[in-house]
Amino acid sequence: MDLDKLRETAAEVVARDDVKYLIGWKKGSYGFRVAPAFVEDAESAAELIFSPLCTANLATYLTLVEQLPLPRGQEPDDRKVALMVKGCDSRAVAQLLVEKGIHRDKVVILGIPCPGMVDPALLAEKYSETEDPADINWSDDGFVIVRDGEETAVPREELLAEKCRLCRYPNPVVSDIMLGEPVEAWEPEEDEGVAEVENKDVDGRWAYWQDQFADCIRCYSCRNVCPMCYCQDCILDRLNPNWVYRSVNFSENTAFNIARAFHLAGRCIECGECERVCPANIPLGKLNRKLAREVRDKYGFEPGLDPEAEPFQASYKPDDPEDFIL
Amino acid sequence: MSAMLLNKEKWPEFVGKLTGKKIWAPQGEGQEMRFAPLDEGDAPALEYGNTRVPPKQALFPQTETLFRFQLGREDVEVPELEEEVVLLGVRPCDARSMAIVDNLFSWEEDDPYYFKRRELVTLVGLACSEPGLNCFCTSVGGGPASTEGLDLLMTDLGEHYLLEAVTEKGENLLKEAGDLLEEADDDKVKEKEQLIEESKGAIKRSLDTEGIPEGLPGLWEDPLWQRVSASCLGCGTCTYLCPTCHCFDIQDEVEGFAARSCRMWDSCMFGEYTLHTSGHNPRPTRRERTRNRINHKYSYFVDKFDVIACVGCGRCVNLCPVNIDIVEILKQVKEAL
Amino acid sequence: MKTNENPYIPYYATVEDTWFETGGERAIKTFKVVFDDEEVRKNWSHSPGQCAMIGVLGVGESMISISCSPTEGEFLRFSVMKMGKVTQALHQLEAGDKMTVRGPYGNSFPLDEWEGKHILTIGGGIGQAPMRPVVEYVKANYEKYGGLTMIYGARTSGDLCFKNEFEEMTRDDDLSCHLTIDIEEEQWDHNVGFVPQVLLDVNPSPENTIAVTCGPPIMIRFVLENLKKLGFEDDQIYTTLENRMKCGIGKCGRCNAGNMYVCKDGPVFNYATLKEIPEAFA
Repeated sequence: MDLDKLRETAAEVVARDDVKYLIGWKKGSYGFRVAPAFVEDAESAAELIFSPLCTANLATYLTLVEQLPLPRGQEPDDRKVALMVKGCDSRAVAQLLVEKGIHRDKVVILGIPCPGMVDPALLAEKYSETEDPADINWSDDGFVIVRDGEETAVPREELLAEKCRLCRYPNPVVSDIMLGEPVEAWEPEEDEGVAEVENKDVDGRWAYWQDQFADCIRCYSCRNVCPMCYCQDCILDRLNPNWVYRSVNFSENTAFNIARAFHLAGRCIECGECERVCPANIPLGKLNRKLAREVRDKYGFEPGLDPEAEPFQASYKPDDPEDFIL
Repeated sequence: MSAMLLNKEKWPEFVGKLTGKKIWAPQGEGQEMRFAPLDEGDAPALEYGNTRVPPKQALFPQTETLFRFQLGREDVEVPELEEEVVLLGVRPCDARSMAIVDNLFSWEEDDPYYFKRRELVTLVGLACSEPGLNCFCTSVGGGPASTEGLDLLMTDLGEHYLLEAVTEKGENLLKEAGDLLEEADDDKVKEKEQLIEESKGAIKRSLDTEGIPEGLPGLWEDPLWQRVSASCLGCGTCTYLCPTCHCFDIQDEVEGFAARSCRMWDSCMFGEYTLHTSGHNPRPTRRERTRNRINHKYSYFVDKFDVIACVGCGRCVNLCPVNIDIVEILKQVKEAL
Repeated sequence: MKTNENPYIPYYATVEDTWFETGGERAIKTFKVVFDDEEVRKNWSHSPGQCAMIGVLGVGESMISISCSPTEGEFLRFSVMKMGKVTQALHQLEAGDKMTVRGPYGNSFPLDEWEGKHILTIGGGIGQAPMRPVVEYVKANYEKYGGLTMIYGARTSGDLCFKNEFEEMTRDDDLSCHLTIDIEEEQWDHNVGFVPQVLLDVNPSPENTIAVTCGPPIMIRFVLENLKKLGFEDDQIYTTLENRMKCGIGKCGRCNAGNMYVCKDGPVFNYATLKEIPEAFA
């Protein structure tokens, strides 16, 4: 990735009068960490990066933004938000457009073809974390870890994130400005995670999820990080009626996790953020990918590919099979 | 009581002596480590960094039933708390967090649930010989062998654990262990001190808190709050996994006619936390919530109880999905003062 | 239920009488309640300004101002606006029904310190609820104070709480009682105009006077401004804060405004203290 080009383009974009700020990635506070960057001027565009550590899907910030109540007579800042997206992130943007969660003329999309991200947890496990600045870059056949001035080549398979091993859309599906040349899509692996659960019998599956959901601490980081979870009035926060109690126990945890999974069926764009951020290490990706697969297999629908598409659950076709009604 | 030595070969026997008490110890693997009740007959392995979920649950469970009742009937039943618990292998920072939270739960009025558990729980600490990546306990008044909040401190000296009682509860544990222990000579005590000095030296992150408690409220409208909270997702990870965070919600839960009033962890990072019924929210965005989180720990709590409500365990730094780093925030605060 | 050491366990109280103060979607209903337990009734004591957690078992609790003065008798009064889940459930209660009560919570108006002074209360809407006990207390101990001036307003006459009591007060020569509504109405023979303006019109002297104000934030802002115009010093002005609360005893964390917990350090604040807290008027 040509970082100079990326920063230059970003600087041009934030300099525009109709752009409020640009959201990209920057080096984090230590070690391998990467943090979201909110760039408001051309100068701070210089801290933007794109590396195999930029796993975070920044599309969530399009709907996460909260506004202070405006003083009377003051107009809201209605300018566009510029956003850097990888392939999977762009699908979130496309799906948000489908659902009219955002307006096309309120975003400037900077698409970046993505050769695949590393799994930060795997990285920490295999190469230990460090306090000192460290980095990872792509090489022709894998990754190169840069640390203490030394470079270590690592085969791609060793650190490639699960979502990237399964990825079918490494190139942005929607963008205003493309940064870099499209990458050649690779053959996605079989989804072993989902298969592993599918191969269990009903009791086995139940036992599996029971075990996983028991660990949930209900911090809602999965919901908050999810670009597709943007309801203003989430059923989890509702007090009247109280659909899901706040008690942390198997019953309520399951109600929460299953409700979220169902609400994402046909909407989840498989960016894997829920699983990445879960402090309890619950394999949420498996759950959401399973439902995505059901929708794909049964209805031939894949979310987040065409910004002009009809939303899956809100569309009707005369030839829809009707047996699901009863 | 002087320092005692326990040969590690006798560790399972030592654990076996804690009869009649439920033992909680770090369990799970790698990053999934958390404190959980130990199966009978097991002796926990104590080679671990720190648990992801702090042991505060032992005193302040994520969900606590305050009382049970039947809809339409007047009598209420308060759950009896009577099980004695030994927390084995608590890191000094986490034990110190309990001593800090004691201040709040005893402020003018004792919280009966918290203090009943406090009474029932014995805290056996394990000094840190290898600090974690984001540990900064020494910057906020703690240390790798701090005994604050503990009943007994253990230090791993290779073949042995060095055991030092801090309270009567700790001394009783040593008495119960009886002849499993031998007295530690001065060399062993010196060895421990040496180890702890080295451990302190291995702590990489630091921060100078001088002037922060007094100065923080003065930075109310500083642009730094917008800067440090811009990427916040508003999830509860930093607060739920913080050993000193102690805020809770109270809700009634009903199943059929059986109902209970319970309290559960709440987080100041959630918008609903301060939302008035009218729809007005005194902390409408993550900027105000982040500002409150930092102010509460580093200023308000100091005003009330003369101690910073942060033990430098580094969990919020390790686990924030978007790398919001409290040490970095406080450095920016320091610069802005 | 007996008097309990456990602060989370509520007492039962029976609604003796209840009536609507105002109507509409956000109606205000007043409950006069009496503790079921004799001992609780005897041991209970509260001071004007304090609050209580009242609720319905199985639904929840809300922090509500105690709107009566202890001088009125061995009962409690709460005026509750129908807003959320708990207040909706409370509004279902009729005479003979039971509610739960915990408390009393918070500090109170320093009425002992104020002895010898003229008391000026300035209220708006439901904000009169925490001040009604001040008015009643001063009336009951009138000889100890240098007089009472009350200004109270609401949007319309239908939105005024405790209207009958106050109308009676306007006819009392000892008291200076000023009622106001925002917009002119037929048959209304009191003031018309916003509370802050009526305050200027009444033009109370700041000398040896304590001003207490409570109401919607926007009203408080202008009342404070106008009190300053009239020459009141910060420490002569008191107000009350409210925030979402759960425990009432300084543990659950959410009600803080800056370093002050509204449930323990408040709800009554002197303006000199309050203006140092940036979050107070958030």
